[in-house]
Amino acid sequence: MAMKFKAWLKTITFYEILVGMKATLKHLLHYRPITLQYPHEKRTLPDSYRGMLALLRYDDGTEKCVGCDLCEAACPSRVIRVISSEVPGEPTKRYAKEYYMDMTRCLFCGLCVDACPVDALGMTREYEWAVYDKRQLLLSKPQLLAIGDRSFPVREKRLELQHPNVAFFNVAFKFMPPKES
Amino acid sequence: MATTTTETVRLTIDGVPVTVPKGTLVIEAARQMGVMIPHFCYHPKLKPDANCRMCLVEIERMPKLQTSCSTPVAEGMVVHTATTVVNEAHKSVLEFILANHPLDCPVCDQGGRCDLQDFSHEYTPTTSRFLEVKRVFPKEYFSALIETQMNRCVQCLRCVRYCDEVMDVKALAPSGRGTMTEIKHFTTHQLDCEFCGGCVQICPVGAITSRLDLYEFRPWMLKRADTVCTYCGDGCHITIQTKGNDLIEVNSAHGAGRNNGDLCARGFFGYHATTHPDRLQSPLLRRNGELVPATWEEALEFVAETCIALKLKHGPDAFAGLIASRCTNEDLYVFQKFMRLVIGTNRIDGSARYGHINGVRALRRVQGTHRWTVAFEDIVGAEVLLLVGTNITETNPITGLKVKEAVKKYNATLLTIEALVPAIGTISNIANLSAHHFSVHPERFGNVVLGLIKAVVEGGLVAQTLTQRAPAYVEAISQTLRAIPWETLESVTGATSQALMEAARAFVAARRAVVLVGQGVLRTPGGFGVATNLLDLLLLTGKHDRPGCGLAPLAEENNDQGAVEMGALAEFLPGPSDLDDRAARERLAGLWKEELPQRPGATLMQILGDARAGNVKALFVVGENPIGSLPRAAQAKEALERLELLVCQELFLTDTARLAHVVLPACSYAEKDGTFTNTEGHVQAVRHAIDPIGESRPDWEILSALSVLMGYPIEYGDAKEILKEIRNLIPGYGLLGPAPATPRSDEAVVERYLREGYAEDVGARYQLTGAGSFDMAQPATSSAESDRRDAGKVKDGLQLTLVVGQTLFHSGKLSTRAKGLMEVQNAGSLGLNPSDADRIGVTDGDRVRLVNQAGEMTTSVRRLDRVPEGMAVFPEHFDEEARRLLTVSVDPVTQVPYCKSAKVRIERL
Ligand code: SF4
Ligand code: SF4
Ligand code: SF4
Ligand code: SF4
Ligand code: SF4
Ligand code: FES
Repeated sequence: MAMKFKAWLKTITFYEILVGMKATLKHLLHYRPITLQYPHEKRTLPDSYRGMLALLRYDDGTEKCVGCDLCEAACPSRVIRVISSEVPGEPTKRYAKEYYMDMTRCLFCGLCVDACPVDALGMTREYEWAVYDKRQLLLSKPQLLAIGDRSFPVREKRLELQHPNVAFFNVAFKFMPPKES
Repeated sequence: MATTTTETVRLTIDGVPVTVPKGTLVIEAARQMGVMIPHFCYHPKLKPDANCRMCLVEIERMPKLQTSCSTPVAEGMVVHTATTVVNEAHKSVLEFILANHPLDCPVCDQGGRCDLQDFSHEYTPTTSRFLEVKRVFPKEYFSALIETQMNRCVQCLRCVRYCDEVMDVKALAPSGRGTMTEIKHFTTHQLDCEFCGGCVQICPVGAITSRLDLYEFRPWMLKRADTVCTYCGDGCHITIQTKGNDLIEVNSAHGAGRNNGDLCARGFFGYHATTHPDRLQSPLLRRNGELVPATWEEALEFVAETCIALKLKHGPDAFAGLIASRCTNEDLYVFQKFMRLVIGTNRIDGSARYGHINGVRALRRVQGTHRWTVAFEDIVGAEVLLLVGTNITETNPITGLKVKEAVKKYNATLLTIEALVPAIGTISNIANLSAHHFSVHPERFGNVVLGLIKAVVEGGLVAQTLTQRAPAYVEAISQTLRAIPWETLESVTGATSQALMEAARAFVAARRAVVLVGQGVLRTPGGFGVATNLLDLLLLTGKHDRPGCGLAPLAEENNDQGAVEMGALAEFLPGPSDLDDRAARERLAGLWKEELPQRPGATLMQILGDARAGNVKALFVVGENPIGSLPRAAQAKEALERLELLVCQELFLTDTARLAHVVLPACSYAEKDGTFTNTEGHVQAVRHAIDPIGESRPDWEILSALSVLMGYPIEYGDAKEILKEIRNLIPGYGLLGPAPATPRSDEAVVERYLREGYAEDVGARYQLTGAGSFDMAQPATSSAESDRRDAGKVKDGLQLTLVVGQTLFHSGKLSTRAKGLMEVQNAGSLGLNPSDADRIGVTDGDRVRLVNQAGEMTTSVRRLDRVPEGMAVFPEHFDEEARRLLTVSVDPVTQVPYCKSAKVRIERL
């Protein structure tokens, strides 16, 4: 009997509809906009955001990139071109003499960042890169380093010789042991 | 090669039965059935060393794992290459290696083609139990061309063994012990060796790399083109690797080409010559006395119009042509066709005239072939090798490796008649390997050959069959030789009759004997005679028609042999056939649908003489540089200055091209397709690796375009079409195979030679040369010795013979544009025997003056133990000044200009 009465009550008060409309009615009363008023308002981005690419430095200001060309090999859309060479004055040390990214083609997949053996590439939270001239999206090494500098103020410490069992091709020359006489 | 056993052995590898020849190593047997056993220290070129333990396999009924690289197969052997135990072994070997490995892969030039990388991937030694700090070798400067990173070394010693076993240079050695073993060179200054690049190629990891392309590439970026080296007659297979239109590196795979993957410095490090910034980019036309850039249309039209006018005025024989043997067969063929049909003259010659023709003419005269009757395989398989005036290490390094292989690996007996003295040096010295070495002055090589023949004749070593077949011939030779007493012979050669006798006996005793004759003979007066005498030696000892025996004249330029076969020489039609060979002319005329010019050809010196006399009005020069190659005494400049039209097809503005009225930019070998014929007569494909530099075009295309403008089109779609036409003429030419099909000597020609051919000059050929005309015999007789010591004291300086010749690090003038080779040798210096140097009191780097009646020059000195006393050597590649001292004499028969040596007085500055 009581069950029947409850069901009757729900029917005449359109209870189910009220449940369904609950969120709508709540927002109707407490109005708060969801749409961000970009560019006046900006969103907080997650740490793993895949934005503009950048080249990074160690804490001592030296470039991390060793010019290994692996990012170039990993990139599915041929964005990257590395011209590697020997570091002047540091025999057999490799670095990228020139480094270009054609950002018009980048799909922000992050494969280059994954491929880099020394974490020299980073994806920043910059995304405001609309330009009038496409050519401005062909970025050179200094430009990419500048992006890194402004986006990653905290830099990784340069490796020192010698961590057991670790590669040391990216160790600075000054950390190499001197030749014993 | 020497003893190929037919005995076979059956064994089972991974459950599959295989049959291989007895003595095969397990690792090779496995490779043959497609099972790759990982290895570091094993290399098929080297003796097994079994030091890396990477190649362990399980063999049933053997208690422990065995190194497959040093275990020969045995009947019924059962081998397992992939059991758990074996895999564990691979893993632990790798764990040991990686314990000290820097894991430099991202910056290592070997990354992507590294054995250690590949095996690490395959056997996944991903965890390491080692916590110790890795070894670090302090970086030391190694050399300008070769870089070492000893942290990456897996200590397999392949590089050390290669340098010793294959190259015989012994420049590298391990130093230190255990994990601290390091590969070093012996000296305290930078590496000084043959720079063959062999250690770079054979290192399984990135411990030894080339500095020329350091960090410029990753292996997967490179585009490959298999082609042929252009720096000497050996015709090595090279793979040119390029990125875009840049040459990145050159290498040659094991087993590839006639060189089996070995190269010399010129091949390995000399590739930058073609992309040198001085390359001509566009045609140059002389306007108001200046060469200025012009378009192809302007340049070609100018040439065509001037040619037509000159031809009308002076007739076709006022034209002449010179072509370098660096051109492809296709270029050479089109060139001679152009000259013969479009111009209508036979007056063409090429750089084979500088010496190679002597060898070819001797072969044609005595045995009716224009090629060797032997191949590299026969050199490796020979029991006795006789080298005459080859200086093989420096002129034909890879043929030199075959000789070394025969001697070191298969115990062949080596007889050498060379100017070299055995000595330890920075490059290998073939005299060190010789069992019977005769060190003589370069003009007296022929005397030692006479000595050998005299020993054969007088020692009763003449083959029975020959005495019966041609008694008159044998008698004529014996008679002329009898007239030369042993004493005289001994005094002019410095060799004792016993030594000559022993050498002759060794030569006769061998079943397979190959005689190699080099430019040292072919480019000195009497070269044609000595080459013929060497064939006499083969005839007299009955070896002439035996398989595996023969005379092998070494070509200096990469396509000298091709130039002969394409008929781009004064006396030959394509084939080669003689110019007056009626049948050949008719066949050619039928093929070309045009009559051939009748009038005789003209050789280099005749052309220059005629030009000087004003009879030659127009000259086509393709890649040749007579002004830069001939001494001033040849007056090439005076000759070319008188021309009304000089057309040069060149890569660079050479001394000759500077005088030209029109310079047309040609493609180098790296930019065109075609074929080269190497010194053995093996025709090999040349393939372009990069696009033509600037507006340059292949030589044949230029000539073809000219022919159209001159109203007599010789047109081809591509180089293949030309080869097809060549094949119509010479059946089977350039059908690519692994080895040349060596011709047999023509018995009819031999018969004719034995009957009467020999007689025309036997008296002249069997004469001592250079006797009495200078005071040097090797080893010096005591009186000459003291004379010279006295001479050394007088203020006037010392009397020497200057020899201008080829060095290992250069080839002609072309290689002086290669930055890699210039790192090794960038200027000429005078090589002197240390005792001669002491006599005038000079050491390395001191300046000296050389004087003779022709002129004088100053240069610096380098003391070289391998140079005999009384001789001074100077590289021809930097001979601008040295050419002033030289004179020219022309061979009466073959018209070869001999201009490589001169007597000079040397004094200290
Ligand atoms: S993010 Fe992806 S597409 Fe962009 S550069 Fe890196 S690898 Fe290339
Ligand atoms: S030698 Fe091989 S494993 Fe070692 S760093 Fe170079 S590429 Fe890597
Ligand atoms: S390059 Fe030099 S060290 Fe290396 S194998 Fe050749 S000769 Fe020996
Ligand atoms: S340098 Fe290379 S070839 Fe030589 S021992 Fe080391 S790993 Fe072997
Ligand atoms: S110069 Fe001669 S020996 Fe050296 S790589 Fe070239 S063809 Fe071979
Ligand atoms: S390859 Fe067999 S032990 Fe090195």
